[in-house]
Amino acid sequence: MWWRSASFILDRQQHQNRTVAPSPESFLLSSPPPMADSPLNPKSNISAYYQTRAAHHAVVTSDWLAQAQAAVGRHSDDDGSLGDDKGAAPIGGGGGGGEEEGSGKAFSVIDEFNSWRKQPALAEAVAAIRALAAVIRTSEATTMMELEIELKKASDSLKSWDTTSISLTAGCDLFMLYVTRTSALEYEDFNSAKSRLIERAEKFGEISCKARRIIAMLSQDFIFDGCTILVHGFSRVVLEVLKTAAENKKHFRVLCTGRPDRTGLRFSNELAKLDVPVKLLIDSAVAYTMDEVDVVLFGADGVVESGGIINMMGTFQIALVAHSMNKPVYVAAESYKFARHYPLDQKDMSPARRPIDFGVPIPSKVEVETSARDYTPPQYLTLLFTDLGVLTPSVISDELIQLYL
Amino acid sequence: MNRVGLQYLAGDLSGGNARCIAMLQAFQEAIRDYSTPPEKTLTRDLTSKIGGFVSFLIECRPLSMSMGNAIRFLKSRIARLPLTLSESEAKTTLCSDIDRFINEKIVLADKVILRHAATKIRDGDVLLTYGSSCVVEMILLYAHELGKQFRVVVVDSHPMLEGQKLLRRLVVKGLSCTYTQLNAISYVMHKVTRVFLGASSIFSNGTVYSTVGTASVAMVAHAFRVPVLVCCEAYKFHERVQLDSICFNELGDPDAISKVPGRVDVNYLDNLTDKQKENLELLNLKYDATPSDYISVIVTDYGMIPPTSVPVIVRGYRKEYLLI
Repeated sequence: MWWRSASFILDRQQHQNRTVAPSPESFLLSSPPPMADSPLNPKSNISAYYQTRAAHHAVVTSDWLAQAQAAVGRHSDDDGSLGDDKGAAPIGGGGGGGEEEGSGKAFSVIDEFNSWRKQPALAEAVAAIRALAAVIRTSEATTMMELEIELKKASDSLKSWDTTSISLTAGCDLFMLYVTRTSALEYEDFNSAKSRLIERAEKFGEISCKARRIIAMLSQDFIFDGCTILVHGFSRVVLEVLKTAAENKKHFRVLCTGRPDRTGLRFSNELAKLDVPVKLLIDSAVAYTMDEVDVVLFGADGVVESGGIINMMGTFQIALVAHSMNKPVYVAAESYKFARHYPLDQKDMSPARRPIDFGVPIPSKVEVETSARDYTPPQYLTLLFTDLGVLTPSVISDELIQLYL
Repeated sequence: MNRVGLQYLAGDLSGGNARCIAMLQAFQEAIRDYSTPPEKTLTRDLTSKIGGFVSFLIECRPLSMSMGNAIRFLKSRIARLPLTLSESEAKTTLCSDIDRFINEKIVLADKVILRHAATKIRDGDVLLTYGSSCVVEMILLYAHELGKQFRVVVVDSHPMLEGQKLLRRLVVKGLSCTYTQLNAISYVMHKVTRVFLGASSIFSNGTVYSTVGTASVAMVAHAFRVPVLVCCEAYKFHERVQLDSICFNELGDPDAISKVPGRVDVNYLDNLTDKQKENLELLNLKYDATPSDYISVIVTDYGMIPPTSVPVIVRGYRKEYLLI
């Protein structure tokens, strides 16, 4: 990191010397996540969240999704408790493909989580929420305290699986708050309280699943006939929004960016299937084409307390260009992505790294900026479409205060 | 009560928290020594007595916002006393309420603010602070105890020169500090990574009301794109909206700004005739208002919030503290 000093060579040497002997207090700073601890995630320094997305996008197309859903539908163990999934989001949300019957004793929340995660259209946080709901269902605790402790442990293990994913952490925290915050818990006996908790957990899971549909519906007013939309990377929420717009027979054009992990390419592939006119841009061509753009639409990896968003690298750049050319910037994000972080600048977040392939081997003395995400401050965003409604960035903190305090 | 008032007058006691705590403790003593005169109810008589004390304090020095909020809390507690309580019970209840207020709203709140603010200090940071705020001092010392490596720039201004007190306390603890005056702020700012400011109060539109000079520091920091963190306990928030610094302020001693301490040769304003003095007005303002655009984040005991969320806290949680 270059600090504001020309002597960055000296600083870098000092930094290297210091990282050789890490001090215990530095856990408070942004240090790379301790990947060595969790055997389920052996690759160090690479953010698992972005690994997953890369893995998904390498293989996922809508045809594959349809086949996967059909396959899952054949194997589903319909034990009734997952029946609510059938009515939820049409893509991939159905079926209990992973829940093993009779796995009571050796129930592992991570296994459950992984089985949910295999459905590529399901967001990670939603998979975590479903896994936590399953924890409550299969819990053998006899008192509320025990149950809460079990939940907390499960939530912590899920969070430690990938410490760089903001939506995962936020989703787990919100689930815990939503589920345990019922005033009637003190009055009822344990079993009815437990069923109340299960009810709320299922409801939260359903809300999260349906969030994308709600966001798609809310954002239809902002996509008018003949507009040109600029998108960045591959966001499943944005895809849902544009799909709904196409189904409503709106005429619009989409410009896609998103190198070097080819997410823009994948997104344009999806849109081409919907018969939407698509144009691919390299990230550097955004300012060049901004004149033609009417609306900029992003997804988000996380929405932070200041009202800004954390999203794939390149978002901030596009938002800056759009802001200086007076184009509206909209963000489509589910409410479980609201996190209580407050980055003051780009380097104030915990780092998430991603391997970048330039196509040619890089000389050994050359450093590569491998951060996978950046922070867009709230003054560059116009509106956020969430399942809580269409919000301005300053309302995010309001919502968070109401949720957490 | 007299002692506290004289301390305010002399300027021995300064800083929002210190003044508020001293005032509340003086009220506690007054309540303990109080006895209801015959044929009068405790609540009404005590309220009017408190009112009398407050006017005395205002004579010594106008109230700060935090003191105003604390007095409102005390009056509402007195008004809410059940009539069935005996005098001694009522007095002990009030004293313990005051203790709880001081503990929860100031002492514990400061601890929470320390924890939040310390996460924003990284190794290699250059932190700038203005004047002397007790919360900022606590943050810097706490971060130093945690072992973080950072430098501090203390910016100061005439005539109060409060920064020197802060500077001394930091240097004694071993922090590496730089000291400068307000006129050099744009020279120093390009090296600074974070600015920490204290506040006397924060209004509902996010405007920060603090020692005069704070607004300049915040604006220069904003121009250099340095994040500005304002650290303030939630009890200091106020529903009022203030658009500029002039409409509500406090005047200090005008003679203090016509002289420079330690420089007797700077006496250009001494030998003016009375006729000439009619044209001259010496304005020594104590506070100024910083617009919310220049503030990045407000660190309170409710967490880190953007300046736009102050009315949420005021609306949602002021009622809570009035009902402690």
